[in-house]
Order: sequence, then structure tokens, then C-alpha cells
Amino acid sequence: MSKPKIASDWLTGCAGCHMSLLDIDERIIKIAELVDIRATPITDFKEPDEDGVTVGILEGAVSNSYNEEVAKKMRARSKILVALGDCAVFGGVPAMRNFCGAREALQRAYVDAESNDEEAVVPDDPELATMTEVRALSEVVKVDVHIPGCPPPADAIFYALVELANGRIPELKDENLRWD
Amino acid sequence: MITLTINGTPVEVPEGATVLRAAEKAGIHVPTLCDHEHLSPFGGCRLCIVEVEGFRLPVASCTLPASEGMVVTTESDNLKNSRQTILSLLFSERNHFCPFCQLSGGDCELQNAAYEQEMNHWPIQPTWNTYSTDTSHPYFVLDNNRCILCRRCVRACAEMSGNHTLNIAERGSDCMVVADSNVPLGESTCVSCGSCVQVCPTGALINRQSAYKGHQKNLSTTKTICTGCSLGCGLVVYHRDNQIMRIEGDWDAPINAGTLCKLGRFIPMTDERERITAPMVRKNGKLEATTWDEAFTAVMEQCKKGEVAAIASTRLSVESLSYFKDIFANTLASNMVTSTEEGLSTANGVALAAELGENFEGTLADMTADYFVVSGVDLINDHEVAGFFIKRVLPAGIPLVVIDGNGNKMKEIANFNFEKTSALGKLEAALSSGKDQDAALAEAAKMLSIAKKPVFVYGAKIDVDGLKALVSLAKAAKGKVVGIKGGANSLAAAQLGLDSTFALNEHKVVYAALGDEAPGKELVKKLENAPFLVIQASYSSALTEKADVVLPVAIWSEQDGHYLNLDGRLQDTHKIVDAPDGVLSNQAVLEALGEKAGAALNGSWKKALTVKLAPVAIQA
Repeated sequence: MSKPKIASDWLTGCAGCHMSLLDIDERIIKIAELVDIRATPITDFKEPDEDGVTVGILEGAVSNSYNEEVAKKMRARSKILVALGDCAVFGGVPAMRNFCGAREALQRAYVDAESNDEEAVVPDDPELATMTEVRALSEVVKVDVHIPGCPPPADAIFYALVELANGRIPELKDENLRWD
Repeated sequence: MITLTINGTPVEVPEGATVLRAAEKAGIHVPTLCDHEHLSPFGGCRLCIVEVEGFRLPVASCTLPASEGMVVTTESDNLKNSRQTILSLLFSERNHFCPFCQLSGGDCELQNAAYEQEMNHWPIQPTWNTYSTDTSHPYFVLDNNRCILCRRCVRACAEMSGNHTLNIAERGSDCMVVADSNVPLGESTCVSCGSCVQVCPTGALINRQSAYKGHQKNLSTTKTICTGCSLGCGLVVYHRDNQIMRIEGDWDAPINAGTLCKLGRFIPMTDERERITAPMVRKNGKLEATTWDEAFTAVMEQCKKGEVAAIASTRLSVESLSYFKDIFANTLASNMVTSTEEGLSTANGVALAAELGENFEGTLADMTADYFVVSGVDLINDHEVAGFFIKRVLPAGIPLVVIDGNGNKMKEIANFNFEKTSALGKLEAALSSGKDQDAALAEAAKMLSIAKKPVFVYGAKIDVDGLKALVSLAKAAKGKVVGIKGGANSLAAAQLGLDSTFALNEHKVVYAALGDEAPGKELVKKLENAPFLVIQASYSSALTEKADVVLPVAIWSEQDGHYLNLDGRLQDTHKIVDAPDGVLSNQAVLEALGEKAGAALNGSWKKALTVKLAPVAIQA
């Protein structure tokens, strides 16, 4: 039997969840033995296999039309979709923007912030993705496994990957279950 | 007693106990957010739902009285599902994102509840509404965005301090915790007791002094006694790295059961007076740092030359007060040895006890009364926790009679106000005759006649005749008398005879053991012209500036000692943090001084407390 394929990608987040994934240290060799690691943002392949993967992992919240496209593609190509980290699970830090609205957040970041110079403007290139309300991944596509945490502990990620590699759905509890 | 079965275990509880309390008694944990052991049941959060045989739906166990033969289940898949839904609804209402909350990581009861129900996401997304954050209060912040409307704060405000500042505005999802009729907390009727902060299960009420200074699990706790006044409330002090982070009321303390006033909870954290960290002796008109030995020698040389007057703070421990007396009264034979209170709050009570030949006072436990008479003390401004005991029961229709001059803030909440203590005698007469010319007095007497456990509280400002009339009225009404007294060890000082009026005559030396007490203007006036002034104190003051010798000592949190509260209950305080280098405890200073003076220090200070008859039975 061939090894299960795993792909990952990130949406609106800080890459911290992928860093926490790397924090499993030498245990990544065990993961590589158990699964076939395909496209990820930290490897050469960037797109999940067209003929699908067993497990798709997404970090980050859905905050614009591009995130939405990536999320839907990963969903379509994964048997099991994992929301990794607080942003994917709850909306997380990017969702703070929902409390004031995207326009005000952009104005603050690009124009009003003390470190900006006088010519600062909000970028408006038509190529840019359209911003939406920041949503948890489960608001956009069906999610099968939630791994909260900011970032999730490396041990929780390792545990979840081993379970998934062995065809089981991980059940996070105790030390592995945290929201911060 | 009632017997019910919870998760197959039979539990026996008194009639009226809730199913939640019964489960706790059986050691069965039922999750809850709005319930608090020391507050009345509310039934708001619904997290404590349980299944009861014969009931169609799960019910909240916190408001369900246990009944005979009841069969209760506290854990099932169905209950877990429901609890997850309840939590989802709570999380969806406001901003409960954990990564940017200081309580996250163990100190938040909401997060802990979610972990316990093994929630790994929110099935319902938040509404993204924003709510006000009130930062107008000097000691805490109210962030409505973190509030789950459990109303613990509202209940604590009413039931612990009787203050009714916090309440809920609006209805349904518009509900909001507000102060008074929605004014900023800093401009409200809040008395800064901080009980609301102590009971808040989330990050909605944040103590400014300890916010973002680490999780509870990283702090050490020490239980001790507040030395702010004669009540002797129990404190739990949270500290780390020789620093106090926060003070809370000790739920297990017999006096206050968790309640504190600002003097116990917040003020000790805001002391900005300058510490003295080295002994000092005046040389050529200037105070200069010196060694302890030189300082003690300088003191003793002067003390042996001429008559000494000595005065000690009632914030000092019984041990220190006792040694102080041994040195100055017994060894140096001074004719002027007293306390900074000069017996003002105790002399009348002590004199009356001697006259009656018995203890005539009850204890604070008697303050759960159904009729209050208060005279000679303003419990809104002083001894606030005793005031809370009264204020918290007034809404039940319990009458309060205040007999005092103008300026007593209790008059604003009293049912009956009388100016002069002669009203006490008139009340007693009306109690037996059933009538008086004054309609208010007749009404007060009528209500007193039906009271089952009236209590008569007196303070420092009552005069001898007033006190006699109050005790006589209490006897006639079959009630109890409570004497509020003054500072932390005011009763101990009185029992040791340190209660005379301080006056300088031919005295050559004045020794003032202030400890961490801030000397009042009158005391400064009395002492500043002493020919030779020795000040034993923790902080710089107008007196240390005038002093010839300054002996730096520890503050309340840096030393052990005993305190005799107004009840006659002997309690011990504990050292929490180390004193700064070069500073000794009050007791150590007096011990060293005693040695220089050749004093036999009384190791049996406990016995010394009961030599003379006290107004209240002393349990030492």
C-alpha cells in the first residue's frame, strides 16, 4: 500500500503554525517515513496534487478572495481537511480586523501609522485579491479536523499527524488542546 | 436531611441544598461559570445542567433544590453536546479570542470550561460587535468585550459589600454590566472593595495591579491578616520574586469570608512613601546613616540620662507592643508609655467592663442581625467591611438606626437618625411603654420590640454615658453589643495598658515606634518639639525629619506577628516578602533595644493580654 499523501498551504496567518510543525524537530523524519509529504509553502511544490491527497492542512484565516480560492482547491483535492491553528480554527488575530472593518484597518496600517511617510496610500492595484470579512476556515469549506493553538504545540501537531497517517481522526485533549 | 443519588452514589445533604452543592459534597465536579460558592445561586450560564430521572429535559443544578430520592446524572454524551452548544453561544456573543487575553493559559474559567468539554472549535462564529471598555477606575478595568453576563460581579457588589453599584442594563443580547445608571466606574458609587474583580471568571474585570504579571500557577500565595483596622480580615497575598502582585480576600477567613475593602485589597499596593533603609543618627544637625549598634547606643545613652516618654503604633504586633511595654514601662520606669490611639477607641469599653465586672460585647458573628443600632462610628468611611455586613442585609427590610452627629455617612442609608445618645435611653423607655412623643422614635422602638436578634454597634466617638445607655438598651432588647475599636491592635494595646493620653511634661526623650503607620498631624505636633526624638519607622515622614535617631523597620508584609482583633480573636500575620537590606522587623529592633536596656522581655505576652478584664471575651 502506498503511503498517505499530505499537502499543506497557508492563508492569512503568520506562518507560525508551520514553524510549530518544524518544531517537532527530528520527529519529522518519522513523519516522512509514515507519509508522502507533497506540496507545502516550505517545500518546492506549491500546489496539492491534481489527483488529490489524503490529508490537506491549512493554516490561517480566510480574509480575501484568493484565500477562498486556495481553501476551496485544497478542500476539493483532500480526503481529510485539517484547520491548523487559531486563525484557521477561529479566525484568530486577523479576525480582530472584523471588529473595526477592513477599510479602517488598511487606513491605519498603510496611512495613519506613525512609521508611514506623507505619501503613503492604501494599495489599490486591480490585481490584488478582494478583501472580505475574516472567517474561520469552517465558515468557507467543510473542515474535518480542528487543531487550535497560537500556535498549536509541536506535540499536538506530531500527535495529529501520526494519527492521520495511521488512518485515524485525532482527538485533541489535555496538553494538546489549547487555544492560545 | 435529604438523600439523593448522583452518578449512582448516594449523597446526604441538608434540606434546601442545591443539586450542585450536593454533587460537590460527593466530590463530583459539575462545570459551571455563573455559580460561586459564596454568592447566591443565579442559574444564568446553564453549564451545570444535569439529567434527573423523571425530568423531560436537563436542568440547571445550581438552582435545583435537592429532593428525597432524586436520581441525578452529571455526565453523558447528551450533556456534553448541550454544554458545548451553551459554550458556543457564549463564545459567539463577544470577543473571546484567547491569544490576546491575559487570563488565557489557566486563569480563565471560560477557557477552562471549553477545554473540559473538549471543544476544538466554535461551531458558531462571533458577532463581531464591539462593546465599551471602562478604564475610568483607579484600581480595575471593566472590559465588556470579555464579559459573559454571569452576574457574579453584580451579585458580589450587592451581597458582599452591599453597595449595589454594578447592575445589568438592557435585556437579552443587549445586556451590559454597568455602574449605577450607566456612568463611568470612576465616577460611580463604587467603594473600590474589589470583590467584583475577585469573582470575575473571565478577563472582563481586570485588576490593574496584577494584569499581565503572570499566571496564578506561577505565583506563590501566603495567607495573612490585614493590619488596616481592628477587624482583622483574612488576606491571600499573591507574590513572586519578592514582590507582591495582588491581594485578595481569604474565602476561608472567619471574619470576612472573602470580602475586603480598598484598605485591605488595593491601598497597600499603592504606598508611595519613601522607605528608610539605614539607621540614622543626627550629627552636627544632620541625619547621617550609621550602624545599628551605634544607633541603639545613641538611643540608650539618652534614655538613661533622663525621663522617657514612649508611644507605639497599634499597627505593631502584640509581641512588639509587649516588648515595648517591658522596655519603657517596666525597665526604664517611664510614666508615659502609650499607643498612638491613646485609648480613644477602647477606654470607655474597658472602663465599663471593669464597672460591670464582665465582658459585655458580642462578636462580628453577631452582625447577621435583624436590627442595627450604630452609634459613634461611621462604618461607611471607617472599618468598611463592618459597614458591608450591615449594608448587605438592609435590602431585606432590616432597620438601621444611626445615633450620631452630622457627618456620619451612615445617616444617608439609615431608617432612623437621631442626633444625641439620649435617644438610646428614650428608645429603652419606649421599648417597655410602647410609646414616645417622637413618632420616629416610637416607630424605631416598635420595630426593635419585634426584632429577634438586634445588634448595637458602638465606636470611638460615643461617650461614657452613651455607651452605658447603649449597653442597657441592648440588655433590654436582648441584643448583642459590638465595639468597633480602632487600629489593628487597638484592643491589645488597651489590654497591655497602652491607652493613656500622651502628654509631654519633663520628658527628655521621646521614643515613637510607628512601624508603617503614617503619623497624623496631631501626633507630629505633639512630638516634633521633643528634646531628643527617636523614631522607629518604615517610611520617611515629618517626624523622621525632626528625629535625632531613626530606626528603619519592616512593613506589614515583611514580618510575622500576632494581632488581637475587635472580637478578642488572636490571629497571626505572616511574612510574605523580605524587607530591604539594612531593615529589621519591629520585634527585632525592640529585642535588641531591650537587651541594651537590660530588660526582661516578656515571652508570655499572650498571658499579658488577659490580665485585665476586657470588654469582649479574649480567645488567646
